[in-house]
Amino acid sequence: MLETPVSPIPADSVDLPATAGQTREVESSAIFWLLAVGGLLLVAMGWFLPWFVEPTANGIGFSPQDVVSSSPTGVGTVLVYVMGAAMLALLAGLVVDAVAVYGHRGRALRYEGARAVLALTGVVCTLAIWVLIGLSHEEPLFGALSASAQTDNAVWMTLTGFAICAFAYGLRPWIIRHTSVSLAGVAFIVGGLVPYIFNQSSDFISWAAGSLAIYTLLGLGLNVVVGFAGLLDLGYAAFFAIGAYTAGSLFGSRHGVHEIPFWVIIFLGAAVAALFGAILGAPTLRLRGDYLAIVTLGFGEIIPDAANNNLFSQTGGPNGISGIDRPGFGHFDFGTDYRYYFWALLILISLVIICMRNLERSRLGRAWVAIREDEVAASATGINTVSGKLLAFAIGASVSGFAGAFYGAELGIVTPEDFRFAVSVTALTIVVLGGIGNITGVAVGAMIVTFLIFWVLPHMTEWSTTVGHTTGITQLSTVPYEQYSFVVYGVMLILIMLLRPAGLLPSRARKVELQTGMESESLAAVRGTV
Amino acid sequence: MAQKTTDAAAVLPPGRQPRLDALRLRLLPQLTARAFPIILVTALVGMFLRIATTSGGEIAGEQLKNGLQIGAIYALIALGYTMVYGIIELINFAHGDVFTLSAFYAILFGQLFGFFGLNVTTLAPSSAGGLIACLLLLFPITMLAAGITGVLIERVAYRRLRQSPRLAPLITAVGVSFLLEGVMFAKFGAANYPARKDGWVHGTAFTAGGVPVRWNDVLVLSTALGLMFALQAFVRGSRLGKAMRATAQDRDAALLSGININRTIAATFFIGSALAGAGALVYSIYYNSVQWNLGFRYGIIAFTAAVLGGIGNIVGAGLGGFLIGVISVFGSQLLGGEWENSIVFAMLIIVLTFRPVGLLGMRVPDRA
Repeated sequence: MLETPVSPIPADSVDLPATAGQTREVESSAIFWLLAVGGLLLVAMGWFLPWFVEPTANGIGFSPQDVVSSSPTGVGTVLVYVMGAAMLALLAGLVVDAVAVYGHRGRALRYEGARAVLALTGVVCTLAIWVLIGLSHEEPLFGALSASAQTDNAVWMTLTGFAICAFAYGLRPWIIRHTSVSLAGVAFIVGGLVPYIFNQSSDFISWAAGSLAIYTLLGLGLNVVVGFAGLLDLGYAAFFAIGAYTAGSLFGSRHGVHEIPFWVIIFLGAAVAALFGAILGAPTLRLRGDYLAIVTLGFGEIIPDAANNNLFSQTGGPNGISGIDRPGFGHFDFGTDYRYYFWALLILISLVIICMRNLERSRLGRAWVAIREDEVAASATGINTVSGKLLAFAIGASVSGFAGAFYGAELGIVTPEDFRFAVSVTALTIVVLGGIGNITGVAVGAMIVTFLIFWVLPHMTEWSTTVGHTTGITQLSTVPYEQYSFVVYGVMLILIMLLRPAGLLPSRARKVELQTGMESESLAAVRGTV
Repeated sequence: MAQKTTDAAAVLPPGRQPRLDALRLRLLPQLTARAFPIILVTALVGMFLRIATTSGGEIAGEQLKNGLQIGAIYALIALGYTMVYGIIELINFAHGDVFTLSAFYAILFGQLFGFFGLNVTTLAPSSAGGLIACLLLLFPITMLAAGITGVLIERVAYRRLRQSPRLAPLITAVGVSFLLEGVMFAKFGAANYPARKDGWVHGTAFTAGGVPVRWNDVLVLSTALGLMFALQAFVRGSRLGKAMRATAQDRDAALLSGININRTIAATFFIGSALAGAGALVYSIYYNSVQWNLGFRYGIIAFTAAVLGGIGNIVGAGLGGFLIGVISVFGSQLLGGEWENSIVFAMLIIVLTFRPVGLLGMRVPDRA
């Protein structure tokens, strides 16, 4: 064997030698808190949901008491006790940590080994309960757990939440060392389990597959344009529409080519969208940033208008294209079961994220940074700025076209009204809220925004009616909450920009720049296009 | 403010084909710059003749009048865009929604004074004297309310971000736009909000070349032209106007010479929004109804007008407004009304591609 002169320095620290360690720690700590609080939230939801929804249903939700009281000597009881003890110990450790951090302005981490053991115990117990519930639903092992929808959801929520908490609290040092891997792993596993966690609530699964996953894809694509290359695109929905209409016209009832498999069509949709991105970009990319924003805004209106006006009699006018074939593998058809769409999208999103991460660190990604920071300097160092910006536009558009093709197949129908300005603003809000240029931030932003807009607002009426009934304030049931979605977007965009312009999870480069007193990344991003 | 004195020509990458570069960089823009107004005018005349031959001269004349009338409203909105862009280089996305909100103000105030036929007892708009009295009341109040809205928006959403990256105020501007639209949607509903009124405003004033011109056409055009001249005189002649021009040229130098920047910028927002308010008032009189999401369309079209005229240029905004009005009306007559938006947006893309400085260009958008 020849000796291999491999540099021991990991790629991350090559990027940012000065304050990389510190920044990493801050970011990792944020991710730790994200996991911990998210897990706790899930546990709390699981614990209290049955109580909220069915306060009178013979008192059976999922709580340790229920399991214990329904079979006082069963295996389940033992497992619940062990799980509870491990959880309490971990929580105590967390409190000790918090106090120590508060007192000494440093990070206290002791008894790592003990914590890891506790965490593993918790996770193993959780998994065991999972498996046992799965094997013996309503068996004497756990007594008569109610089979009602909410209880079932609650069980899954509590267990998943506990597993995440245990993982986060117990393996905190490991998480901080392996941030991306741990976060991605948790996100992927928990994401894959979502259809089980919420297996009784088809609404939630259709939200997750229809809104969350699609908008995550859109956010990821827009992040390439706005975050990586620093070009503000306000007409991003146009490419979404192009992808959807491509899939729709190739796959729909009008003149569908039903022999081509769906998995080819979505790439076709992406390619057509990328082509349009390049066509739009070629004449306009010489313009300065805010002019580009207006041009893309105009483009974003032309496309749904053209679809609405039945361009070349191909788009079906205001009714759109219906009867789009459902995707599937061979004879297996996804039909209207949103779980399959969700899993397929989860895999697609994972692939897109992997591509994005590689892209960010590729030659092209570095070129984008240079263009974003200072276009003239980038051009002087030999970077072809026009082709760089065009590629950013085309790649961003292709992700959007991908999402659009999937969206069309998922709903079975595409109509012009699905692609109006609100879609572009949603995608932009996701990117801005999460942290411009940060992939993790985009994923988090997508969760928050779609949860607020597409889950909370539509359900507010129902919830506030319930609250109104219990409290006797009847006015609560008449508030038209869905009308306020625009207000929510507006307030979110304004507040983020005024209070935390770098987003919830700022990208690492920006953090370093802020700490070392250099120009912020967005400043550079915009100056770069000046 | 960082110095931005980089000369584009000095740092351009070395071209492999110098002659082609010279062609692309110098000759072609000059050619398009010279030819652009000619092409535009030729296209307009061609469209006019095409309408005149297919649908008759009177229809063409009627459409020309309609184009000028809607163009007057676009021009009034475009002035606000161009003034704000001229002074702080921000595309004030919320401006179109300030226009819509002002139309609601106008209707509400009009109801208060009995103009829109809902409470006709106090002042009688069906008589000329009553109408003029109403307008004398409505114009200042609506414009004041609109102006205050604009100043509030600047104070809350833009002032703190004046030193931040350009992307930041642009995103808050989109946010303010959505916030205003959401509030109007929640308050006034999704349907057309009626401003019902009757009377002789819709009656014919005189006939020019076989085209009947109604009193409300006269009102719209005279309002727009009068306010434009007033604004031009104000910016040219007054002390505050001089301060505005100084701030637009170099904010730091203006600050050094003792100009209160915050007040000057607030005044710019006030005037721009007040002009949109005047446009909204005549709009509500002309069309009798307002919809919550009107501002999105009118905003982009007016911005196109500002770009066409040359952004930052007040005369250009007026000219651009009338041109875009005529183009959109002619275009929708020829292609069908449903294509009106697409025509305007295509126009925007064409202008920004071939003649980014606009007709009476002032600022160069791509000074990279």
